[in-house]
Amino acid sequence: MTDAYYITAAELAKTGIDDLPTELNSAKHMIYSSPATLDFNSPGARGFGVKRAGLAIPGSVMLLIAPGCCGRNTALLNELGYSERFFYLMLDDTDIVTGRYISKIPKACAELLEELDEKPSVVMLCVTCVDALLGTDMERVCRACEEETGVRTAPAYMYALTREKRLPPMGLVRKSVYSLLEPQKRRSNECAVMGYFSALEDGCELYDMLKAIGIKKVHELGRCKTFEEYKDISRANFSLVLNSEARAAAQDMQSRLGIPFIELTRVYRLSKIHNQYMLLGQAIGSEFDDSEYYRRAEKSVNDFKEKYSDTVFAIGESLNADSFELALALTEYGFKVAEIYGTVGERNFVFVKKLAEVSPETRIYSNLSPTMMNYIPMSGVTAAIGADAVYYHKDCAGVCFNEEEQPFGYRGVELLFEKLTKALNDREESVL
Amino acid sequence: MKKLLKHISPIAPDDSGACSVLYEMGGITVICDAGGCAGNVCGFDEPRWFEKRSALFSAGLRDMDAILGRDELLIKKLALICKQVDARFTAIVGTPVPAVIATDMRALEKMAEKKTDLPGIALPTDGTRLYDYGEEMAYLKLFERFAVEKLPVKKGLVGVLGATPLNTGETGSDRIKKELSADENEEIVCFGMDSGIDDVIRASEFEKIIVIAPSGLAAAKYLNKKFGIPYEVRGCCINDDVSCKADKLVGKKILIIHHQFTANAVRDRLKGCDVVCASWFRMIPSLKKENDIHIKEEQQLAELAKDGGFDVIIADSFFKRAMKDFKGQWIDLPHFAVSGRLNKDL
Repeated sequence: MTDAYYITAAELAKTGIDDLPTELNSAKHMIYSSPATLDFNSPGARGFGVKRAGLAIPGSVMLLIAPGCCGRNTALLNELGYSERFFYLMLDDTDIVTGRYISKIPKACAELLEELDEKPSVVMLCVTCVDALLGTDMERVCRACEEETGVRTAPAYMYALTREKRLPPMGLVRKSVYSLLEPQKRRSNECAVMGYFSALEDGCELYDMLKAIGIKKVHELGRCKTFEEYKDISRANFSLVLNSEARAAAQDMQSRLGIPFIELTRVYRLSKIHNQYMLLGQAIGSEFDDSEYYRRAEKSVNDFKEKYSDTVFAIGESLNADSFELALALTEYGFKVAEIYGTVGERNFVFVKKLAEVSPETRIYSNLSPTMMNYIPMSGVTAAIGADAVYYHKDCAGVCFNEEEQPFGYRGVELLFEKLTKALNDREESVL
Repeated sequence: MKKLLKHISPIAPDDSGACSVLYEMGGITVICDAGGCAGNVCGFDEPRWFEKRSALFSAGLRDMDAILGRDELLIKKLALICKQVDARFTAIVGTPVPAVIATDMRALEKMAEKKTDLPGIALPTDGTRLYDYGEEMAYLKLFERFAVEKLPVKKGLVGVLGATPLNTGETGSDRIKKELSADENEEIVCFGMDSGIDDVIRASEFEKIIVIAPSGLAAAKYLNKKFGIPYEVRGCCINDDVSCKADKLVGKKILIIHHQFTANAVRDRLKGCDVVCASWFRMIPSLKKENDIHIKEEQQLAELAKDGGFDVIIADSFFKRAMKDFKGQWIDLPHFAVSGRLNKDL
């Protein structure tokens, strides 16, 4: 039995992104659905996977067209109140070989509409690996459904086979949920925030800072209660894209609706947050005063440091952060990061390289590696961040930090250290 | 429309059933999928995932693997994992992806054996059938492949087939053993639950087999034919609340929905009632009564609720949404393969 594979940050930085060890390259080994990462590997289980994300449009319903196995865990979403919005067209073995079910989809849509008290805003047609392989033209299927029912219809591609493509399923579904927006007169004092299916945490400074420069309305999908509110998103003068998975959707909105976009990244280093806001100000021709927010976030870091300066962290990837950027931030704040469970890619390798300079001995594990079956928690870790890290380090103070309301900017830093302070306080009290 | 579910979500599929039987056997199980099917198994259909460690993996197929039929890559990854994890055999479980591209599962089985030097089995499930089909296939394949030697029979050694969480709502064998134990000298082994491949290998030692779900019957018949082991059929793991409520019913017209053996076991408790058993899963003709019903479509549930004239329904409350017109008494009889609820969740 092999011990859980890890590589230090220094070793990994030296190896380079083009020559990743087999254990960090999920295309080269079997995938372990670690109990620690089920939310990540099976987003249907919790959080927003394609199915739940496809229902982000208010008043929408979904028809999942797939073998039974693909819709099985949807039962979990019933607990979140989605049971009235999901319908299933089950495929049998002849269907998946011949594709004969495709002609039945419009009739299935018509039949499910008869069940509803109100006409839905849109019927999302969710298709899976079967249609990825059969090459089903879903645009055409959607048109046929619209002709049959008179209700808008859009595809949601749950193509797990394409998870590592340029436009993965979670990028495609973002494009789909914004695809129903129609051109209208844009308003110079309104903008859209894109990237997440739920809204930013209410206390995020971004709202106040945008207000301070004259933005009167910030549109967010996660705050839309009605289809009318959803349609208003296309009044935005510009979009802020906070998650790169929404880039394709923003590009589509730019070309169809003429709404330009600016990308920001969720980071936890105060200096980088400041830089981003300054650059954003330049891009939209305004000047942001973020000094108060900076000071408050810095104070939360310092307060925590004063009390828990010797904290040793383990950081997972089932959380609202990039594991490696967060590790770098904590290291720069003066803490020790012993372990990271993360997925290394081109996007975050830059953080690995910087981490190698300031914390070369940090161990990097891949949750997806089969050797993680044999993982034994490293002694010395005193706090875990991320649902997976908390799972691995059951005896430490833990903060899952994977809530649906999204942390961002200085407020994100404050929230993290508030939660860490509480977790370590609680831990101390439980030991006493 | 047939196969359109408007009120309930899908029931556990065949690949989940196969994995459930293999879970504690001590092999390396690879779900031949892109990741989603394994997520469904580990995150929903296999409650032991959070309690007992098992070498269950996803093949992590990508579109070009499927399009180009890269079986060699799959076997290479399997060989790598065999060096990292101790295992007695390998098992490859099918999903819709290999079904669409017509993967030769028998060839995969042979390639795996050659490359890993471990016995290998491949199960051509495709995610379109129900869990009992996958369980039956897995039980049968395991006994055909590993129960080869005829050993002396051990008196009092009783094997149980059908003991999976999907059938019983239990993640351990204690309750099943307790319910089935006839006398204290008996040693009861639940194949695949708190027992591994060694008990399959020594199957010919068993004096008797008890089958507690239809998915175990084909394997029991196989063992009877090969080694002459007698078998009997029993239902078990009916929760106390159901038993208590059922015992009070007299002169009622009752519908019971579960797998056939549990449904029949509940029926056996009911005295002086007109009882109909119904099941979404395979029903053994010889164990069916005249009016028993094999459910194939959701619509049948609505029709039974409206036109069946039942005073009482004993079934997983998951079905209530599809039986809104039923106005009588509902006694909740959970079935993990339906609602994902364990007996201990009640």
